[in-house]
Amino acid sequence: MSESNEVREDVMSEDDVIVRIKDLHKSYGDLEVLRGIDIDVHRGEVVVVLGPSGSGKSTMLRCVNLLEKPTSGQIIFEGADITAKGVDINGVRAKLGMVFQQFNLFPHLSVKKNVMIAQQKVLKRSKEEAEQIAVQELGKVGLGDRVDFMPSQLSGGQQQRVAIARALAMNPHVMLFDEATSALDPELVRDVLAVMRDLARGGMTMIVVTHEMKFARDVADRVIFMDGGVVVEQGTPAEVFDHPKSERTREFLGHIS
Amino acid sequence: MTEPVNTTLGGARTALRRLVAACALAACALGCGAVLAPAPACALEVQKLTAQPNADAGSDVLGGKETRLTWEFQADEDEALTGFTVTLPQGTEFSTEDARVTILSGEDLMDRTFVKPKYSVDGQTVKATFPKATEAGKYFRLELYHVVFPTQGGSEQLSATYELADGTEKDVANIPALTIKGTSALDQLESFLEEQPWVEAWNSNRFLRLFLNPLIIVSSLPVVFSGFLMALAIVLVAFPLAIPFGFILSLMRISNSRILHGISGFYINIIRGTPAFLQIYIAFFGLPLAGVNIGNYPLGVIVMAMNSAAYLCEIFRAGIQSIPPGQNEAARSLGMNRMQTMLYVIIPQTFRNVLPTLTSEFILLYKDTSLLAAVGVMEIVMYAKTIVATTGSITPYVVAALFYLLVTLPLTRVVSGLENRLAGKTPAKKNSPKGARAKANAADATL
Repeated sequence: MSESNEVREDVMSEDDVIVRIKDLHKSYGDLEVLRGIDIDVHRGEVVVVLGPSGSGKSTMLRCVNLLEKPTSGQIIFEGADITAKGVDINGVRAKLGMVFQQFNLFPHLSVKKNVMIAQQKVLKRSKEEAEQIAVQELGKVGLGDRVDFMPSQLSGGQQQRVAIARALAMNPHVMLFDEATSALDPELVRDVLAVMRDLARGGMTMIVVTHEMKFARDVADRVIFMDGGVVVEQGTPAEVFDHPKSERTREFLGHIS
Repeated sequence: MTEPVNTTLGGARTALRRLVAACALAACALGCGAVLAPAPACALEVQKLTAQPNADAGSDVLGGKETRLTWEFQADEDEALTGFTVTLPQGTEFSTEDARVTILSGEDLMDRTFVKPKYSVDGQTVKATFPKATEAGKYFRLELYHVVFPTQGGSEQLSATYELADGTEKDVANIPALTIKGTSALDQLESFLEEQPWVEAWNSNRFLRLFLNPLIIVSSLPVVFSGFLMALAIVLVAFPLAIPFGFILSLMRISNSRILHGISGFYINIIRGTPAFLQIYIAFFGLPLAGVNIGNYPLGVIVMAMNSAAYLCEIFRAGIQSIPPGQNEAARSLGMNRMQTMLYVIIPQTFRNVLPTLTSEFILLYKDTSLLAAVGVMEIVMYAKTIVATTGSITPYVVAALFYLLVTLPLTRVVSGLENRLAGKTPAKKNSPKGARAKANAADATL
């Protein structure tokens, strides 16, 4: 366990850990992308992962819901090792909402159907129920008037908010954001971040990979700085941003701001 | 010595003839009395009623086309005719121009005397009035030209009367019906064209006559049309069969199972690596030898479907692989399993993307049905070939080409429309799953 976790032990007990990444390694052939990652995420916590490109932060996030298969190490979700054999990975993924950099909306389905399809097929909700929840979630992200549009008719920011609504409609226990605003024009970023802020305020457990420093500082409970496939430093935004311990962190933050 | 004998013999002969005539009369009167009680006229006998065959070949009499009517009748011994009428069926056109009434006599009726009557027409009835009463018991022949029976054809019944020297008019009984074959609008168009001077001028050019003979265009249209229906029947069954088959092959091709991948790869490599022509030969000549007898049509459908499936497989595979991996990831991250992802996310998008290529493949398959002519399936080319063989003109092949273009040209437009729509929606997707075959065939798509 890292130091910062010890610091927080008074407020967060071991029982609160919802996602535990244990000694996670990931290699593509000879290329070792993740070299032993250990992260605990507590229920209701917003963890922001920072780091330069190629630091392995996206790969780490994709390992959490097993879109990438870890080379070694474990992902413990709600007390169960989901990397073990015989785990209902689809059931687990339904509880781990993910938002992608490229939105990945289904272009052949209307906005509403995008949000409904997994509810109907995975959670076996009725069409009516799925539709009601879809409209409700789309309303929450400010797209109540766009439910019957096709994704191609929406701006990037709107598409990303649909993607968030699509993930939220599954009632996930944890939300994973993989550079959710990186593909957006600057003026569209704000709306998406606002939705993410609301979500954090509502108590959603979130692991957010981003380059938005202001968002990290304002919203994060904990900031993790990754580089070269390892966690270099972690702590509260104040600790990491204002008093970075590592030279590498300092250099990175200096570059950004 | 000889004279009285002669007289006696002659007298006996006359007596015999009278007896026979009387008997015949009696029998006739009896028969008529039974059937047509109030009509005593049965003395004049119709010997023959024909219309001249006017079809290009054979002995059919066609409606809607000019023919000659010939009516021969034998007047009874004591009947001296002064004229007769013939009433033609409703809708029949005719003219008294060139009409002729002849009295045939002598041995084998070879002696001819022309009567030269006056003709008058009243509605459908032609009345012929002889200049003077003919001798009794003559054998007459009427030839009426420029007769055109109604186009729909069927059994046509004429009626006739004759007038005797004493002024009595009698009905002619027992007139046989004429069987007229119906003709289509195209037949009529053909006979119309035949008479047009411009057609003659057109056909005086060797090139035009060989490739674009209007008469053969018209006459081969209905024949090649039945081949067109056959080609459509083949492609419209074979293609829908090929789609699921090709799709299953493509799923096998991208599956992780080495065996499935191998089977699918083997199949498409064999099919795509050999000419369709050869596959048709093997199926049509090989299977009967092996004791498997399948009709020409179902076998043609099967061979075309199996051939097309291999190409469709590659189209689908490319289509599936052209879907961005993010689609799969998004679906899986929502908890959908492989099957659900395939069914609800990947396949619908694949079909949308491959629709233009699929249509191109349909065009190719449609054109490839022509290969079945080589094994006697009666499709477009086969029918054209039979007319070419009988007429020696290439025109039927040009007609065949028209029947291909009838389908391929509109579909080609559909393809480019679909492609434009796809390009408009997703401008980045330049690597549309165009099969190598489609490109290779782009050349022959222009014929």
